[in-house]
Amino acid sequence: MKLKRSFLVHQDGEQKLLVPTGEAGFSGLVRCNASAGLIVSCLEHETTEAEILARMTAEWDIPAETAKRDLERILGELRQIGAIDE
Amino acid sequence: MVQDISGGAAAGFSGTYRIAGRLIGVSSLFGTVHAYCRDYAAEGIPDFTVTVTPEDIIREKEKTDAEYRREGLPPPSFPADLLETTAVYRRIAERMPDYGTVVFHGSAIAADGRGYLFTAKSGTGKSTHTRLWRSMLGDRAVMINDDKPMLRITEHAVNVCGTPYTGKHRLGCNLTVPLQALCLLTRGETNCIERITKQQAYPMLLQQVYRPQDPRMLQKTLRLIDLLAGQTALYRLACNTDPAAAEIAYAAMKG
Repeated sequence: MKLKRSFLVHQDGEQKLLVPTGEAGFSGLVRCNASAGLIVSCLEHETTEAEILARMTAEWDIPAETAKRDLERILGELRQIGAIDE
Repeated sequence: MVQDISGGAAAGFSGTYRIAGRLIGVSSLFGTVHAYCRDYAAEGIPDFTVTVTPEDIIREKEKTDAEYRREGLPPPSFPADLLETTAVYRRIAERMPDYGTVVFHGSAIAADGRGYLFTAKSGTGKSTHTRLWRSMLGDRAVMINDDKPMLRITEHAVNVCGTPYTGKHRLGCNLTVPLQALCLLTRGETNCIERITKQQAYPMLLQQVYRPQDPRMLQKTLRLIDLLAGQTALYRLACNTDPAAAEIAYAAMKG
């Protein structure tokens, strides 16, 4: 699973943005908070949900259940805009 | 413009144009785009050439229909030669980031030799507002481009450039001036202008710049937008259609 080529990750100061190309079929712009930013960073290369979860729990001192819930919500939103290549 | 009837492929038309400082070759199926671009005709070896195929025109129709659907409008029925003119600009827009240049949706006006660019979604009132500037400033103001000017961006300067694509009222000319300020425009009951940060402007800047289909060119576009935002005075204007709107905006933006 990774980000489609048609979605670029752009650093705007401290914040990560997800910017679609003209071909992406989504014309908005995604501003990532800290957890979305980490998830999007992972998705720049081929990865799995398990690997992302491991990064999240290593980065922050949060329960695995909380991380899983956050990950599923953010992946759901990314899938909805067509940003994920499964 | 030259009509080519000698080749093995379908007869076509070709011409060379200087737009935003680049020499661009255009090879097309119809003559319309060359009439459209005639004020920019030039001689010399092109920096790059755009060659249109019938498939490009089909793709342009699909893109145009999709854009209209996104705006909640029924698909238009543009003839093939008009679709071709748009397809040509799209192809040019795809290449221009390689030359530090982007196509930007907005109404650009020059006042006393400095450029002012107003951007907003279609129908908000950009053209109406720049018309107020022209009424206010008379000969001191000239329209650069009322629809899709180009911005040529370096680390030290941003220039706003006229292009043949001037919008439905055909307002614009072959003129390039330094960009003094860029303003996000919204409708308002009363007129109010404020200076804004790059972060505040960014979503609109990214929506209004032409976003290439090629990820590599989009990357270049994003860097150019960063450069643009880092050195340009950015404003947000809420305005009505009173002449005072132009007075307030000009007073703030002229610096």
